[in-house]
Amino acid sequence: MSEKSYRDAIRDAMMEEMDRDPNVLIMGEDIGVYEGTFRITAGMLKKYGGKRVIDTPIAEAGMVGTAVGMAMLGLRPIVEMMTMNFAIVAADQILNHAAKVRYFSGGQVDVPVVIRGPQGAGVQLSAQHSQTFESFYAHFPGIKVVAPATPADAKGLLKTSIRGRDPVIFLESAALYGMKGEVPDDPNFTVPFGVSRVAREGSDVTIVSYSRMLQMSLIAAEKLSQDEGIECEVIDLRTLRPLDLEPAYASVTKTHRCVVVQEQWKPFGAAAEIAASITETVFDELDAPVARVTGEDVPMPYARNLELLATPHEQHVIAAVKKVMYANG
Amino acid sequence: MADVIMPKMGDAMTEGKVIRWYKNAGDAVKKGEPLLEIETDKVNLDLEAEQDGTLGDVAAAAGQMVEVGGVLATILAEGEKAEPKRVAPAAAPAKEQDSKSAPDSAPSRRAIDKKDSIKKSTGEYGEAIDMKAPRIDRTAPAANVVAMPQAEGGRRRSSPLARKMARDMGVSLEEIQGSGPGGRIVASDIKNFKPAAAPQSQKPKAPALPPVQQLETKDIPLSAMRRTIAKRLAESTGPIPHFYVTAEYDVTNLLALREQLNEIEGIKTSVNDFIVRAAALAIRHHPNVNASWGDDAITQHGEVHIGIAVSTPEGLITPVVRNADEKSVSDIAAEVRSLADKAKNRKLMPNEYQGSTFTISNLGAWGIEQFTGIINPPNVAILAIGAATAQPVVIDRQVVIRDRMKVTMSCDHRVVDGALGAEYLRTLRSYLEQPLRLVL
Repeated sequence: MSEKSYRDAIRDAMMEEMDRDPNVLIMGEDIGVYEGTFRITAGMLKKYGGKRVIDTPIAEAGMVGTAVGMAMLGLRPIVEMMTMNFAIVAADQILNHAAKVRYFSGGQVDVPVVIRGPQGAGVQLSAQHSQTFESFYAHFPGIKVVAPATPADAKGLLKTSIRGRDPVIFLESAALYGMKGEVPDDPNFTVPFGVSRVAREGSDVTIVSYSRMLQMSLIAAEKLSQDEGIECEVIDLRTLRPLDLEPAYASVTKTHRCVVVQEQWKPFGAAAEIAASITETVFDELDAPVARVTGEDVPMPYARNLELLATPHEQHVIAAVKKVMYANG
Repeated sequence: MADVIMPKMGDAMTEGKVIRWYKNAGDAVKKGEPLLEIETDKVNLDLEAEQDGTLGDVAAAAGQMVEVGGVLATILAEGEKAEPKRVAPAAAPAKEQDSKSAPDSAPSRRAIDKKDSIKKSTGEYGEAIDMKAPRIDRTAPAANVVAMPQAEGGRRRSSPLARKMARDMGVSLEEIQGSGPGGRIVASDIKNFKPAAAPQSQKPKAPALPPVQQLETKDIPLSAMRRTIAKRLAESTGPIPHFYVTAEYDVTNLLALREQLNEIEGIKTSVNDFIVRAAALAIRHHPNVNASWGDDAITQHGEVHIGIAVSTPEGLITPVVRNADEKSVSDIAAEVRSLADKAKNRKLMPNEYQGSTFTISNLGAWGIEQFTGIINPPNVAILAIGAATAQPVVIDRQVVIRDRMKVTMSCDHRVVDGALGAEYLRTLRSYLEQPLRLVL
């Protein structure tokens, strides 16, 4: 174990996998000479050379299309998006090609491509560069959607992504890059897809979240414990496709109350899917409707004060927890 | 141009009152939009526009009584001009009407329950009504809405967990006060619920006196409902020669049976539900009490529809349990509860309070031991049920305590003679004193 930042954990995962498998390569905008806009790829061009660390033109559809072709022929490309917002340009390559080639080929051809990059608000990048995409991608069969909340999970899940057979959308939280945490040093450490974890144990309310909102939920849970004596159980989903809600069902069976926290807009979001599944599966255990904490339904403002107002805050989680507890009306 | 007329909402209706207009003269109206609220002698209703257009002159102002078939307003199609102002014919005692405005042509007019209009409501109207009421899908034509969903009115909100806990603990949600939003029963309400102590250990508290009211001299305007009650009951005691027969029944077994049935999950019955069934079954033996007086003939009814007198803040109304002789006690119980709830909220539809063939009035809950009812025409008999009280009685030369209940039958002597009334009460005794007959 050593203490690493989320950023370094991602770089470590990629470099360990490039050391392990010569078919792994990375391509993206400004990832080589410039070492990445968020400095994720620092030192990689020097170590692996221009054939495995490829600077591309500003052409996301081209990058992903190239990577899909590489993957079909046996390579294991990682595509870094400067932000995941830019991957919209490549949506056809991702959703209509990467996600469907195995199906169209009758199972003969895999597309083991990882498309990764930062997303989300909190760093004042305004409306076009602050969006979150988990529900957008998780809607489609044929791709995996990963959203780690800790440095260790970022590393373990990225290694699983690179080693797997499937196209993976790997969503990093821009606001978590500097976050530090204990990360196993073992080069064979991986975290499997579709295994949620209990990030905090509690008996009163279940909070279900992922990525940066998981960290915020943990802060809210500590405050609720100290100020109100309410003990929240916090579930970290880690991956949205596959989605493992078994620990959430078990937790709701214990607490009978549930709050789902997501950063994205409320309509048709991940929280809606999660809340509906909980209601379908453990309906008789619920003592209150499942509550959702989400971002405001507006394009993300640039101004710091407005950005704060438009994104979920721990106070929102606290209020939602009290609501499902029938506390304070 | 189309006239908006006072609809006939039941055979007994001769007039209706305009409560308020949602639209004013000159307003554009759309087909299906509520135009005004009317009050009939039993219910309040919204009348809808039957075509697009502009509301022409309003012939009846709020508060005005209008006879059935009277014009309330006109709807002008595009380009049409209002005719000289017309005034709605004021309500007058029902009399011969010419065929054009005969009320018989009116029943096809759509009149809808108030809540039907929620999805069509806008602006002020939307605010004026209770938007918190349960939403009901009204895509079906409103005129065809006959039975409201069973849950209406009687439904109590509860969380799924609370329901599960109540099932597991054998607690009825009916007994529990909900503390959640909108009175929702939540888990803590079940956990904190203390079942009422067993009757013998419970010392009954003396009932509090009703609140003392400020005494003042004032006129209370007659509501349409109060007018109807007065008219019909005066019509009853005047021309109908009443006579009364009273019997006292031993209902110890009946009360025990009811207690046993109520121990079954999901069943909740009152003593009156048993009486309704008993009265209905007894009618099968004496169909001549299930009749109506006519000038040329006595009509004996082929079906047994029991009217139940229900007291509401506005006055008395008698919702009807149809074919009560064919229904189980628990079915009757559920139906009576639902009807009583609707009656209290003035939501009864005409088909729910019309067409009784026999009536039961029960003042037992008020502790009244015996009284006489006034026949509810066109019925020819009514049963007045008193409270069951524990009495010392002599059985096999021993004094024992039994539960006794007095029932008085008012009969229309034109149809029911004394002996017939007595025979009916004797048959009723067999059902009430050997109550297993009621569940056979």
